Amino acid sequence: MSHIKAIITQIDTVDNLNIVKFDFYGYSLKMMSLGLTDDITVGKEVILGIKPTHIAIGKGFSGLVSYSNQIKAKIISCEKGKLLSSLKLSVEDVVLESIITLESTIAMDLKVDDDVTMMIKASELSILKVL
Amino acid sequence: MIHIDIHKKLHGSNGNMNLDVNLTINEGDFLALAGQSGSGKTTLLRILAGLEISNGTLKIGDEIWQDEKFSLAPQKRGIGFVFQDYALFPNMTVEENLHFVNKDKALAKHLLELTELSSLKNRVPTTLSGGQKQRVSLCRALMNRPKILLMDEPLSALDPTMRTKLQNEISTLHKEFGTTTIMVSHDPSEIYRLASRVVVLNQGKIISDGTPKEVLLKTSGSQKFSFDGELLDIVKVDVIYVAIVAIGQQLVEVVVDDTQAKSLIIGDSVTISTKAFAPIILPHEK
Repeated sequence: MSHIKAIITQIDTVDNLNIVKFDFYGYSLKMMSLGLTDDITVGKEVILGIKPTHIAIGKGFSGLVSYSNQIKAKIISCEKGKLLSSLKLSVEDVVLESIITLESTIAMDLKVDDDVTMMIKASELSILKVL
Repeated sequence: MIHIDIHKKLHGSNGNMNLDVNLTINEGDFLALAGQSGSGKTTLLRILAGLEISNGTLKIGDEIWQDEKFSLAPQKRGIGFVFQDYALFPNMTVEENLHFVNKDKALAKHLLELTELSSLKNRVPTTLSGGQKQRVSLCRALMNRPKILLMDEPLSALDPTMRTKLQNEISTLHKEFGTTTIMVSHDPSEIYRLASRVVVLNQGKIISDGTPKEVLLKTSGSQKFSFDGELLDIVKVDVIYVAIVAIGQQLVEVVVDDTQAKSLIIGDSVTISTKAFAPIILPHEK
């Protein structure tokens, strides 16, 4: 699980369903969630969690895509296995991990120092802790 | 309104403890009483039924059942009691078990019809299945149209299919008789289906009180799909790690990253959670 610190900027609610928006180094992140606990309010700082298998990677990307969360990052390590690869990505002072297939890593020619875009669906971002 | 304010010193398996319960229940409510064994649930039911002595007051509507100097006899309290082990009279037929409480034949006939027991009315309890015995016990408890129906884990000895069937019958009877029902239960699905309110006891004190969803939905942050388990193993596969966790009677596997794989200790108690969006539901083939 990769962790990032962000600040809640907006909460839109319909019945039990919420879209929570966060600020993370100027990026606006969005999270889909069912019922929120009372301590989740605008202005609060939170730790967000993302599973490495839920982070997709784009390189030289242009066009539209429905991933609500798109963050520019630099590859700082690339460990290739037999079927999968583990990428470590840095954004400001935060390091996140992405697990993708080895085939994609090779097809996209991903390597250390590449500038890429991390893409995360709003349903796959979660609040681990309210600070 | 039902006002319960009772105190009693208990000598339990974990030493002495004080049962202190102060509770107001709306008439017609279905209240589930949960908590670990030895927390005082059954004692509370027995105090309400007048089967155990305690200090404090019990006020049911405008009737006083107990105060400092008075305690109404159990048979004078409008109580129906359903026990886990049925407690039927073995030498009496189904119908006689009901008539023992009250000679209202029309009511007995109605109850036996509602619970599909009419054809068994001349049988004795030893010839009935567990589910049938508990239905008889439930009918018998309702024969005096009780103000309060008390049930002590009524379905815990039954198989899951019979349990669901009886849950529906309990719900129908609770509504039809407009009784206030207090049921001791450990089963979240039973509590969710039947009760409008759950009170959790621990060491004789109320530690939680709310709707079944408020009390029972296990969450961790924005994760709504959450289970406690024991970490059995972590195995490296290619560039990822797979954790094997025992949850209840099942093993599950969860992919973890290398930092977590290094910080987790085999044998640890862990919580596995994910967001409500990720799991898929597959109905079992019938």
